[in-house]
Amino acid sequence: MPDRGTLEATTGDLPLIQRIASGDERAVGELYDRYGAVLYAVTFRILGERADAEEVVMETFAQVWREATRFDTERGSVPAWLTMMARSRALDQVRSRDRRERLATSAAREDDSRAPAMGTWGKDPTREAEQNERKRKVVDAMAALSQPQREAIELAYYEGLSQSEIAERLKEPLGTIKTRVRLGMMKLRDVLRPYYFESAS
Amino acid sequence: MSDREQTSMQDLAAAYALGALSPEETRAFEEYLAGSRDAQREVAEFREVSALLAEGARGAAPDAGLRERVLQRIGREKVVPLADRRARTPRVPFPIWIALAASLILAVGLGTMLVKSRRELAARQAAIDSVRATLAQVETRLTERENTLNAIMEPGVTLSLLSTTNAPEPRVQLFWNREKNQAIVHAFHLTPADSGLVYQLWFIKDGKPIPSITFNSEPSGHSLVQNVVLPEGAITHAAVTLEPRGGSLQPTSPVIMIGELRASS
Repeated sequence: MPDRGTLEATTGDLPLIQRIASGDERAVGELYDRYGAVLYAVTFRILGERADAEEVVMETFAQVWREATRFDTERGSVPAWLTMMARSRALDQVRSRDRRERLATSAAREDDSRAPAMGTWGKDPTREAEQNERKRKVVDAMAALSQPQREAIELAYYEGLSQSEIAERLKEPLGTIKTRVRLGMMKLRDVLRPYYFESAS
Repeated sequence: MSDREQTSMQDLAAAYALGALSPEETRAFEEYLAGSRDAQREVAEFREVSALLAEGARGAAPDAGLRERVLQRIGREKVVPLADRRARTPRVPFPIWIALAASLILAVGLGTMLVKSRRELAARQAAIDSVRATLAQVETRLTERENTLNAIMEPGVTLSLLSTTNAPEPRVQLFWNREKNQAIVHAFHLTPADSGLVYQLWFIKDGKPIPSITFNSEPSGHSLVQNVVLPEGAITHAAVTLEPRGGSLQPTSPVIMIGELRASS
């Protein structure tokens, strides 16, 4: 079972957002220190290109800067908000370009073999340990899904396919895909609930 | 929409949080979401799951310089962007420097004011955006209501009432368009089913129940399901029972409401 205490290290997302809302630029830097690396990693995985991923990360933080006053805790935690914005930007970009060939070539060209992102969190060992733990839990939870469930969720998450597009791609009935996505997400929810970010209600 | 796509709205929360609904489904779900606290909570939770999934993507590390570029981007949003770095250090003859220095002092003052008014402007713009978004939502809802009304008022549509045997309420109205063999189902004063249960509609043909859609009502007691496809053949009645989530092939509980389908208007 997770040690609830490790979550303490994530306290303070909300004050950070309030500082940003009041025009404190340094708070954006601090928010970047917390979530910049993970947002970069997820957008890089979606886009497959360094420059595109960097652009999405910059735009996401610019959006935080503009919209911090509108952040609503009722709708979830700060990282959930950030991930939603970054993913939706990255997926928009993917959809707007003829991606399939580009990804195939760029993935081969830019297989990112640099040091793992964890290194960039080194400033705060507690936070780093907590992130490692969280990543391990997520990887384990994904591995515990059935292969078809995992495949459906990954196609939605990283390629931005709708359920109908997934059904088409896998040549499976739409109802089957819907069930896989729903049951898979419910399983993830049940397993990952103890690891939600602090500001989630 | 096909019969299969009439998945009950609450089943779409996970896919919605993943962004895996089609544009039409997204619109329909968002309308449902606006009126359901339960669904809002569910979506919020699936968004947390979605945020955690990003942790699983860790691997690629950003350049150390990205942090600085993020801050630069934000800095640029505050002040009027300069087209080019070189434009900031123009080569000018000496006397002009003095004038320039004076105007620079002025510019710093103006800059501070500009920063303030830009943030005020941004706040106002945000307020306008949010009003616009609300307006768009209301418009979508109105259009949908209008479509429902139009569908009900088409020629050849008959209305049947399903009710409990001994009470006037709850009730279900069934607007049957015989030309299209489709129906709109509208329930009112219907208590939302307990968790794990849904209402299921049945059509009775030759005295046998044929399973149809499942639905649940809002806390207000209302429920509206469109494009319900009727089975072929002579349907005499429609009925409603309580079934486990996902529906049943045969009724597993007593009939709550039943009504005769009128063959002609």
